[in-house]
Amino acid sequence: MGPVGDSPRPDRDLAPGWHAYGLGLGLVVLASLLGLALQHWHISANQVLTYLVAVVVAAVYLGRGPALLVSCLSVVAFDFFVIPPPITFAIPGPENLPTLIELLIVSLVISSLTTRLKTQIAQQQRQALATQALYAMSRDLAAAEDLPAIIQAIVANIGQTFEREAVILLPASTPEGDFKAYPTENIAWLDAQEKATAIWVREHQEPAGRGTDSYPQAQAHYLPLRTAQTNIGVLGVRPVTPGPYLTPEQRQFLATFASVASLAIERVRLAETARRAQVLEATEKLQTALLNAISHDLRTPLVTITGALTGLEQNTMPLDDLSRQQMIRTAREESQRLNWLVGNLLDMTRLEAGTLHIKRTPCDIADVIGTALEQMGSRLNERPLTLTVPATLPLVQMDFVLIAHVLINLLDNALKYSPAGSPLEISAQLHGTTVEIAVTDHGPGLSQEDLERVFDKFYRASPTAWTTGIGLGLSISKGIVEAHGGQIWAQNHPTGGLCIHLTLPLTAPPHTFKKQPCPTF
Amino acid sequence: MPNILIVDDEQAIRRFLDTALSAQGYTVQEAASGAAALEIATTRPPDLIILDLGLPDIPGVEVTRRLRVWTQLPIIILSIQETEEQKIAALDAGADDYLSKPFSMGELLARIRAALRRANPATAHLIFKVGELSVDRARRRVTLANQEIALTPTEYELLCVLVCQPGKVLTHRQLLIQVWGEAYANELHLLRVNISNLRQKIEPNPTRPFYILTEPGVGYRLRTE
Repeated sequence: MGPVGDSPRPDRDLAPGWHAYGLGLGLVVLASLLGLALQHWHISANQVLTYLVAVVVAAVYLGRGPALLVSCLSVVAFDFFVIPPPITFAIPGPENLPTLIELLIVSLVISSLTTRLKTQIAQQQRQALATQALYAMSRDLAAAEDLPAIIQAIVANIGQTFEREAVILLPASTPEGDFKAYPTENIAWLDAQEKATAIWVREHQEPAGRGTDSYPQAQAHYLPLRTAQTNIGVLGVRPVTPGPYLTPEQRQFLATFASVASLAIERVRLAETARRAQVLEATEKLQTALLNAISHDLRTPLVTITGALTGLEQNTMPLDDLSRQQMIRTAREESQRLNWLVGNLLDMTRLEAGTLHIKRTPCDIADVIGTALEQMGSRLNERPLTLTVPATLPLVQMDFVLIAHVLINLLDNALKYSPAGSPLEISAQLHGTTVEIAVTDHGPGLSQEDLERVFDKFYRASPTAWTTGIGLGLSISKGIVEAHGGQIWAQNHPTGGLCIHLTLPLTAPPHTFKKQPCPTF
Repeated sequence: MPNILIVDDEQAIRRFLDTALSAQGYTVQEAASGAAALEIATTRPPDLIILDLGLPDIPGVEVTRRLRVWTQLPIIILSIQETEEQKIAALDAGADDYLSKPFSMGELLARIRAALRRANPATAHLIFKVGELSVDRARRRVTLANQEIALTPTEYELLCVLVCQPGKVLTHRQLLIQVWGEAYANELHLLRVNISNLRQKIEPNPTRPFYILTEPGVGYRLRTE
């Protein structure tokens, strides 16, 4: 692309400097001297042609004004030097007058035609380059997927093509006003007056600012960004260094850029709206699932508790001590379950709201596992449990409570999805700079599809009568482990059963007594 | 029988605590706010206070702080949705123990007994015994099932700090300050490593500790019964 930028600048031919006129004068002097020399050496030549050459040279290289000057001067010089008597302004006689008039007409025609041709060529070149520039911007815009990328493409291309700093103002409610300016850096010059100009442009949908009649004192030239359907915002272009205004041709071209840019901005906006609608739909689905889950899973324990308590309250119902104790135990277990479900729902909410803060402290993995087992209480009593935790494991920087919570969820899951009395295994081992913890059950395992989806929210593999819970436990565990920079995955154990692995980065030297800053605990 | 003051803004919780504690033979007073609790504590001082952290007028932590200005009577905190930080704040302010709601009645009664025992120096012995573990502070001897256990000075010091306040939840910070000193208040890894080593020596199954209990995110506690 490179030199594209040079072309749409004001054409030198349209505003030639005084030196061009000087050169024109020089050409006439040169032609006259040549004529005098030819006369001196008695070389027979048509001196009209000499002056015409000067006119053509002037028209091609110096532009319209100097060419006209050369045309007129040539006629005068011809009269002065050539028409006898030489070196006098003779009144041309009838034999010389046609020659003079012909010279004048031919000179004027040649200079006019040549300069017009030249202008046309230059214009075509500019248009070709402009089309190329526009194509380049369209290509960049097509590749851009979001608003920042689009803005960057527009600003970069306009900057390159017009040698101007571009700013895009999009409607937004910000503390500074009802505009948000992009790009957000290097816009210190965008003061109140510039903004007022932009607001005027948005309201009137007409260009304003520098080089126009409205707000001509503004630093930048502003024009509306709009598509057939909507007004997008305002585009401002500001010369990097003070220079000439944009030519009408450039303005037209800038307007084309603006409409292409508008379409691109509208495109990403529509895509964003569509995405939001999708998210909203997904959220609604999730909420429905959540409500269903709550109404079912939270009410079930309540039914049991209420049933047990009212049964105990009724004096008329004959209950032996054993059934009385059983009812009390059921009610207690169900209330624990209810408490656990509520806790999980709260954790999920905190995870999603981003308010679950990880408090990393150096933790002893064995202590965390012990705490989880302690909190599982009597539920583990009938399960043969194998613990493989090397005493040499280093301390791990992690949130003690949350990781204990993860392990409780994994154990809860293992209990639910494996037959009563079947063994469970918990192991921890060091792999380089991470610790891997695995919880394995001896249940039926999962299908390949379930292995991948088991961490999804509200997902429950093969709902069976003896499983309860909202299907949040593993999803929360995944959230917590990932917040620690670790990974969690499920796989079927070669000898049957499901194994859930999680890894946690150590991020602290093992068993060192070196003093180091320790987060709050 | 000891007198217990129940401070909770939830009437249902006050009522059931009243019933359960009265059934155990304790006499009970009730307060629904922090201000009422502070007033009762001065006019009719109880032997122990059960305090809810989430009171409508004065936060439980602040009530604890104001009480500790003039009295050492045992305070057991009840918390429902409070974070570990709030529990730690209450314990550091001088509370003796805490229980998260919902809690089991058996657990609460055990904590009440332990707190009352600690408050009564007459029952404090130089030799502490629980289960198979015995700590004789006069002779600096620790035995497990009559087998003497060799502890490093730090491990012994740590065990002693726990033994001095049996059953009381000691925050990480409290333990670090009492064993290592003020300058080490944040060196949590020292505590973790020494607790781990101590457990390797005194616990029959170090991964499922019986004597030294972990209070997740808060601290440690020595089993008393």
